[in-house]
Amino acid sequence: MDISIQFKKGALELCVLVLIHERDRYGYELAQSVSEHIEVAEGALYPLLRRLVNEGYCTTYLQESTGGPPRKYYKLTESGKAHMKKLITEWKQFVYSVSRLIERGPIL
Amino acid sequence: MNKNEFLTLLNTQLSQLPPEEKLELLEDYEAHFAFGKQNGKTEEEIVHELGDPHELAKEALGERFTSREPVYWYHDPSRRPEASAPPAPARRRRGATAQTFVIIGMFFINLVLAPLMLAFWTFAAAITIGAVACIASPVLLTMDMLYNEVSTAKWFASVFMVGIGILLALASKGLFRAVLISTQKYFSWNHQTAKGDA
Repeated sequence: MDISIQFKKGALELCVLVLIHERDRYGYELAQSVSEHIEVAEGALYPLLRRLVNEGYCTTYLQESTGGPPRKYYKLTESGKAHMKKLITEWKQFVYSVSRLIERGPIL
Repeated sequence: MNKNEFLTLLNTQLSQLPPEEKLELLEDYEAHFAFGKQNGKTEEEIVHELGDPHELAKEALGERFTSREPVYWYHDPSRRPEASAPPAPARRRRGATAQTFVIIGMFFINLVLAPLMLAFWTFAAAITIGAVACIASPVLLTMDMLYNEVSTAKWFASVFMVGIGILLALASKGLFRAVLISTQKYFSWNHQTAKGDA
């Protein structure tokens, strides 16, 4: 088990929230956007999106698309925004703490 | 693996989910395939990007999934999730002849040790009974008084016996514990030696 998998797993939720916050997005679009930045099994996105909807952080709406199935768009709710902000703060604090610890060490 | 194989596999893996939830999730994946194809990808490419259906199912089942195996969402075909616990290395077994002699040897040892253990238990029991008798001696003396003439010396002796009895009772507690522990150790030693993992 690669430790970086665990890192990415923790970060995926935050990335998805930020991407939906930028603008409403549909599943496939999210998968493409996330893959641009981090290497992920795109399929993991859908269970995550379901959870975000169940927890009330996102709502969904359908929009017809030309020559394809309707797109299920995800929209961030107010509580989703608050959750995202909380995660961002925690993330920054975490990254800062870990970097400080690493840079203190004699390894690099 | 093509789209149908992927969805069929996922469908079986997600059987624990409520039907409507499962259907919705499968629709999400089906739509993903449709959009991928619109962008000129083959089914195989899309399956590759989506990742291992087993791992996706685990992710989807979330807390419902009982295994503590870490969730897998980074797709790399060469990397498989490891089993949660590595199998214990095979223990070296002793040969049949050695095993036979060990059993014979233990038979003789037990022939002596088992009665010895019994003797220890009997000793602990005897001390306890002695303690009870000592503590109960005033009662016995009172009963004696009903039928016989009792001298004052007997009363003093009885009081003395109660003191002894209390001490014996305390000692018997420790004694029982010691005998119990040594019996347990004796049994586990027997067990381990017979099995050959000592």
